[in-house]
Amino acid sequence: MSTEERYASRVGATPSEKYISDSGFIAAAHELKAPLALIRQLAFQLEDDTVSAAEKKLFASKVRLSAEKALRVTTDLTKAARLEDAMFTLEPVNATAICKEVLYELQEYAASRGKKLQVQAGRSLPPVIANHDLLRRIVTTFSDNALAYGGDTILLDVKRGRDGVVRIAVRDYGPALSLSDYYRIKKQLSRPQAVHARPQSSGLGLYIAHQFAHLMSGNIGIIRHRDGVSFYVDMNASTQLSLL
Amino acid sequence: MISLENRRAVIVEDDEWFAEQLATIMKKQGMNCQTASFADEAIAKIDTRLPDVILLDMLLTGSTGLVLLHELQSHDDLARIPVIVCSATADMLEQPMLAAYGVRRVIDKTTMHPDDVLAAVRSVLA
Repeated sequence: MSTEERYASRVGATPSEKYISDSGFIAAAHELKAPLALIRQLAFQLEDDTVSAAEKKLFASKVRLSAEKALRVTTDLTKAARLEDAMFTLEPVNATAICKEVLYELQEYAASRGKKLQVQAGRSLPPVIANHDLLRRIVTTFSDNALAYGGDTILLDVKRGRDGVVRIAVRDYGPALSLSDYYRIKKQLSRPQAVHARPQSSGLGLYIAHQFAHLMSGNIGIIRHRDGVSFYVDMNASTQLSLL
Repeated sequence: MISLENRRAVIVEDDEWFAEQLATIMKKQGMNCQTASFADEAIAKIDTRLPDVILLDMLLTGSTGLVLLHELQSHDDLARIPVIVCSATADMLEQPMLAAYGVRRVIDKTTMHPDDVLAAVRSVLA
């Protein structure tokens, strides 16, 4: 029995419920602080009578986009807390189509930050066995992370991996990760910590992505580049078509 | 009240929109502000510009604010520039430890009012 399981058994909760409610509770609070603090400052600007109508429109747009980002965090938290009792259908899904949906969802937010998302997909990729919504949440989390810490262009890359998996990677071109940060984030992929990742992040999003991927028999990971980072999820390719 | 006209500030903050908010607040008082998202970029701008004050977020992408503070302290001219920490984790920071690194004020991002930024800047420039 793991430490997490032993602790959970003492308080009558399932391991993931208890773990989310303790470490995750602090991490969630931290994760929501940044957008809420920003929204509060933007509200001060909206209250300022000297601000022009055009500026107010811009501030209102930033308020909406920041609120939407915070809501994405709360949606992930809700789903993660209910993983034990919720039913998630696994079916063959098109990973490239999911990346395009994420691009569509985040393109306004990306553009408002002067950044651009691109989807790059290999030819003749098989569908993957996944829950459409959970896989989309994973890719969205990776993309949100890249938009926060990466450079101007973020690449959503779908390609065939080894051993019958399809790899969906989100590549950013931000500052290189130090080795210590790299190992810390690798550790966080399976366990949230109070504060730190690419330091401003709590790592909660990555932990939740790990939970979602695990539920679909997928694996998430990180690749450190000289000019940025790739976060990826490996999903099992569907063999249904080949059996027909 | 001390005038902030033409005073120079470097804002080290990796949330571009938050950095813009801080810059807007200070520019309204006639200050000249530059922003930097990363510690390396900040050091270069601080070294070139020798600002009157530095506003610093502690949790930066890449090297943290503490690394930047350490670097500033290792140069006599840069060590004299007053630093105001503006952080969402202000309640978790050990202020006596930060004081040793030249931090003169700490502002909590989650509760601050725009006037608090100006009050802090004026207090360290007085």
